Amino acid sequence: MAELTANQLHAVAHDDHGHLSEEEQNDNLKLGVWLYLASEIVIFSIMIVGYILLRINEPDVVAHAHEELGVGLVTANTFVLLASSYFMVMGLRAMQQGNRAGMLRWIGATALGGTVFLIGQYIEYSELAHLGIVLGYSESQWSTLGMRFYAPTFFHGAHVFVGVVWALEVLRRGAKGRYDHNPIGIEMFGLYWHFVDVVWIMLFTLIYLV
Amino acid sequence: MAEATHHEGHHSNTVRLLGREITVEGGVYTVVFVGLAILTVIEVLSAEYLKGAIHDAPSAAATLQAIKAVLLLGIAIIKAGLVIWFYMHLRDEKPLLAVVLLLPLLIATLSIMYLLAIPPGGYAV
Repeated sequence: MAELTANQLHAVAHDDHGHLSEEEQNDNLKLGVWLYLASEIVIFSIMIVGYILLRINEPDVVAHAHEELGVGLVTANTFVLLASSYFMVMGLRAMQQGNRAGMLRWIGATALGGTVFLIGQYIEYSELAHLGIVLGYSESQWSTLGMRFYAPTFFHGAHVFVGVVWALEVLRRGAKGRYDHNPIGIEMFGLYWHFVDVVWIMLFTLIYLV
Repeated sequence: MAEATHHEGHHSNTVRLLGREITVEGGVYTVVFVGLAILTVIEVLSAEYLKGAIHDAPSAAATLQAIKAVLLLGIAIIKAGLVIWFYMHLRDEKPLLAVVLLLPLLIATLSIMYLLAIPPGGYAV
């Protein structure tokens, strides 16, 4: 193995013990989250293209579904998720200002927003089931819509659920003062939560409005 | 020192918008949230209006549908950009993170365009 040059050694070891500085560790953690989110982009894209192909090949089915469903509930749900993203960034801001109690309130509101979104999605799925839009094959006119609709929206809902659990963990750690000196844990959760919001912005437009 | 300035910028309640200074709790984050809410309202109202127009004028349905798709996707991309730029702090991050974001988006976009170019019945052999 080639020997490391002095510059390479300097790049790796920034203190006497060969450890990365806190700032470098934070940068590495954020890069890790961004790489994970990049892989998620590809997965969601596959599901979205499946829906777009249905939209192009069977426009009547999608138009009929839009007529039946309306956009009232899903628009309200969209506002809830946008608000939760705002609560999230305000929570990080509060912690960066040294306001732990404020951070706990904002992140608590984020978790509540995610929970309300999931309840809204459950209500929507119940209405869809009454219309006969199901996941598997059916004799109904909706048989081609079910999988293309549920795959991206349920996968997104699963991400919201994971986000709510993560928010509760951030609350637990935050209450113990874990982020008082370094809020990177909140920032990593924030990246994930905002990404979930971005995905919903695109799904809302592509699936419910276009 | 640079980090402190960076955070002070994020923590300021005063935002410069269209040449005017606005002071609001939450600063730029609140302004972005209001912007996202307004864009969502415009998006939904536009979609409903164009849906009615398509219903009333079936002969122009293809054109109106294309306008609807471009308009709504344009608004959605602006909204997504606002979240990524301000809430995910991409504006303050190293360019590497922008590459990490844009590379899969580029690959996904090219793949989608390729798939959409395939005729519904597949290619004749």
